[in-house]
Amino acid sequence: MTRVRRARLALEPSPAARVLAGFVLAVTVVVSLAPFFYVISTSLKETKSLFSYPPHWIPDPVYLGNYVALFQKHPFGWWLGNTLAISAIVTALKLVIDGMAAYALAKLDFSGKPVIVTILLISVAVPLAALLIPLFLIIRSMGLIDTRLALILPPLANPLGVFMIRAFIAGLPDELIHSARMDGAGEFEILRRVVVPLIRPGLVVHATFIFATQYTSFLWPLVAVRDLHKQVITVGISSLRAIFTVDWGLISAASLIAAVPLTVIFILFQQAFFHQSLAGALKE
Amino acid sequence: METATSHFQLSEDEHRKQRFRAAMRHNLTAYAFLAPILVFFLIFMAVPVVWLFYLSFQHDGILAPAQFAGLDNWRRTFSDSLVLKCIINTLYYCAMAIPTVFVLGMIVALSLSMVRRGAALLRIIIYFPTLQASLIVALIWTFVIHPDFGLLNLGIRALTGVKLNFLGDPHFAMPTIAMIEVWKGLGFWAILFLSGLLALPQDLYHAAELDGAGPIRRFFSLTLPLMKPTFYFAVIFATIVNLQLFDSVFVLTDGGPVDSTATIAWYIYRSLFTFSDPGFGATLSFVLVVVVLALTALQTWLLRERA
Repeated sequence: MTRVRRARLALEPSPAARVLAGFVLAVTVVVSLAPFFYVISTSLKETKSLFSYPPHWIPDPVYLGNYVALFQKHPFGWWLGNTLAISAIVTALKLVIDGMAAYALAKLDFSGKPVIVTILLISVAVPLAALLIPLFLIIRSMGLIDTRLALILPPLANPLGVFMIRAFIAGLPDELIHSARMDGAGEFEILRRVVVPLIRPGLVVHATFIFATQYTSFLWPLVAVRDLHKQVITVGISSLRAIFTVDWGLISAASLIAAVPLTVIFILFQQAFFHQSLAGALKE
Repeated sequence: METATSHFQLSEDEHRKQRFRAAMRHNLTAYAFLAPILVFFLIFMAVPVVWLFYLSFQHDGILAPAQFAGLDNWRRTFSDSLVLKCIINTLYYCAMAIPTVFVLGMIVALSLSMVRRGAALLRIIIYFPTLQASLIVALIWTFVIHPDFGLLNLGIRALTGVKLNFLGDPHFAMPTIAMIEVWKGLGFWAILFLSGLLALPQDLYHAAELDGAGPIRRFFSLTLPLMKPTFYFAVIFATIVNLQLFDSVFVLTDGGPVDSTATIAWYIYRSLFTFSDPGFGATLSFVLVVVVLALTALQTWLLRERA
């Protein structure tokens, strides 16, 4: 945390440079936030009043019908619940799976290690969009199309997290693990009792990363699930769009609610997140 | 003599056996730890890649039973005009979005590095769009570029009286999608470049200042060359991600108007769900896998050369 706060260049920039930087950041902040504020205003208006020109920037009267309709006329509650549940389950499973594999790669000696590392490293680069068709056929042959399990299982194969956690574990001194072994601790116990507590900050950041990846996924759920009650939020909201006359008020309300969970999680963990990414982003 | 030799051999054997057992025990433990990721990896990654190749020599398989297709799919992949269009569109998109987001990201990163107070809040705000799902970002942007009530359109209309339709014009549709993706990606690249900037050896800057190099000179002859490893990583990573552009295209234009925003990932999706032609889609996917793996190999090679 202290490190992030002191994250500045050694040379003091000139006053002119500082004014320019302030201007750039002010513009960036306005451009980054203006669409969100406009969408907030839109979500509190009836769709038909959107088309009046000149526009009413502040909704008057404030209309809550869009939010009500989302939950009463559409399975929005299901979408939100499914997404949160699936993201949480994938995050939990992935932390265990990745953590175990990362520990083996970082601190255990075994034959075939270079082969395993190479294969997993190469597969990090395989574009997931390209696996869509065989994944669909595999999940279909397992009879899992239109189930929530179809959304949980394939993401578990992504090996990126193994390497991220391996980097955290590799930083721990070997003596620590040796002495735990001397005390008669099994490897799993060492991982759980010695390693995990020490790399907890890294794991927290990694967990938010997995959760966010899962929460924002769109293409795979679009393919794997047709039943709208089992669907996730991104695909659910896009299904609101696929009607002849689009109810824009509804879509703006839905998009805003969808943005809330990740925003809250991010604000809760932002200190750890920026500490990780600013201190160690380029370390192997 | 004979007994001595056999005794010696026995103990050597015993020793070897013990070492072998220890090694096996280590292997067993390690592979028990690796088993879960390897099982999922095998089913949902290794098998799909092999299956892609197999599918590329087949027709049908979704509605009708699969049949051998020879090189049909491969011939079609390299002659189909829409495939070519999708590849050109995707590259055009990458050529617009990636340099733009890099230049803007670098400018924002430099600005962030000069801030004294409020840096934490600024970082959160600037990272906010990056955080959201690309689908949600695309939908939020419909409220910026909608011909009737879009924020940007209202502004342009107030200033010039012209009513624009960004996504309705085949010349503007792809640049508009690039603009949206730049807006979403800016925070990510700004923070990445900021971490690169802060990792630079700061004593060099003092030396350069003593030698009379001004801030602009320092940026071009120190900062940019020193950040080469970050840029190598950034270019390849951005290309891999952006070659898979799908979400915003799917929800905003569905490839139109006149195929001007049809991308490779969009065509793969369509080949499965609109044309029920997994063999052809698999061939296209396989090409995408090969291109991305080649780019990654290039990245590894470039980074190794520097290190």
